[in-house]
Amino acid sequence: MNSFHAKVINIQSVENLNIITFTSADTTLKMMSLDLNDKLKKDAKVLLTCKPTAIAIAKNITGELSYSNQIHATIRAIEMGQLLCCLQLHFNGVMFESIITSDSAKRLKLQINDKVTALIKSTDLSIERIL
Amino acid sequence: MINIDITKELHGANGAMQLVFQAAIKKGEFVALSGKSGSGKTTLLRILAGLEKADGTISVEQKEWLHADKSLPPQKREIGFVFQDYALFDNMTIEQNLLYVAKDTKLANQLLEITELSSMKKRYPHALSGGQKQRVSICRALMKRPKILLLDEPLSALDPAMRTKLQNELLLLHKEFGTTTVMVSHDPSEIYRLANRVIVLQNGKIINDGSPKEILLKTQGSQKFSFEGELLDIKKVDVIYIAIVAIGQQLVEVVVSSQEAKNLQVGTNITLSTKAFSPIITQI
Repeated sequence: MNSFHAKVINIQSVENLNIITFTSADTTLKMMSLDLNDKLKKDAKVLLTCKPTAIAIAKNITGELSYSNQIHATIRAIEMGQLLCCLQLHFNGVMFESIITSDSAKRLKLQINDKVTALIKSTDLSIERIL
Repeated sequence: MINIDITKELHGANGAMQLVFQAAIKKGEFVALSGKSGSGKTTLLRILAGLEKADGTISVEQKEWLHADKSLPPQKREIGFVFQDYALFDNMTIEQNLLYVAKDTKLANQLLEITELSSMKKRYPHALSGGQKQRVSICRALMKRPKILLLDEPLSALDPAMRTKLQNELLLLHKEFGTTTVMVSHDPSEIYRLANRVIVLQNGKIINDGSPKEILLKTQGSQKFSFEGELLDIKKVDVIYIAIVAIGQQLVEVVVSSQEAKNLQVGTNITLSTKAFSPIITQI
């Protein structure tokens, strides 16, 4: 399972809807959530998770993207299937996976050691557990 | 206000255990008692009703029901008790069943009106369906205008449609009569719909006490959509894996990566969760 160590730096709330801002190795991450656990306060340390299938990949991006989470990572391994492609990515000392279509991987001409941006919507990021 | 502070030695399947129950229940509250069988729920109802002895105190609106060696007899406790089996008098009509408890025709008619039984009041119990019989039991329990209505899984023998109908009627009666209700139930939807407080018992002790949402909402980390299930199979397709999971009476498929699949073992119990933002709801 993808796991990122992160620290809570801000919590914005409207009724029971919240957007939590984290920092993880100089990268700012945002997560949308309903009711929060009482232990989740500013400075709390957490493990964040995201399904590999919910992580999009961008290369050489220009222009603005709505994705709240843009993680600069390096490709360490590529497993190319007939339809899908599984990427092993390295960020902040941890490995995480992204599953995209093989067609997209070919279109982006993805290679090992490529610097890419992993894109995650704030609704797809979740807390695996509070540390 | 109902103050309960009791202990009782129980002899369950796992040997002797102590039932320890301490709680204050506000007037008009609808409390669901939940927990595995053998945790002491039914015994607690029977102690409240005065059908079983216990040590400690029970006071209801400043009146002592149980104190030291003094125990108010069941018939003086102003309770209504509804069991899973209907316990009606078969030789009496529905109306007579109600009037046997209290000679109050006006109240009987009002209750039969709310539960849509008015046209059947001259019938005998054997001519009624399960749902109708249980409505009569509930009406009968309310004939004494009880301070506390005790319900021991009253709807568990009924089909889902009838259960929903009776849940609505129970709620209507609870509000109409301003009674305090204590109901044993295992059904999360029933508890959510009816109760404003859930007390969970385990091995005779309270292990949880709070609002239905707090207690029943299963969460995993920040994920609100969480179910427990059994992992039946994992199949490799292309570079991904598909996990087949049994949840209740349904099978679902979940896509996992090879890394995720490594830590999964077929045949084990698992938690399946996702964010509240992902599921799509469609009316059937």
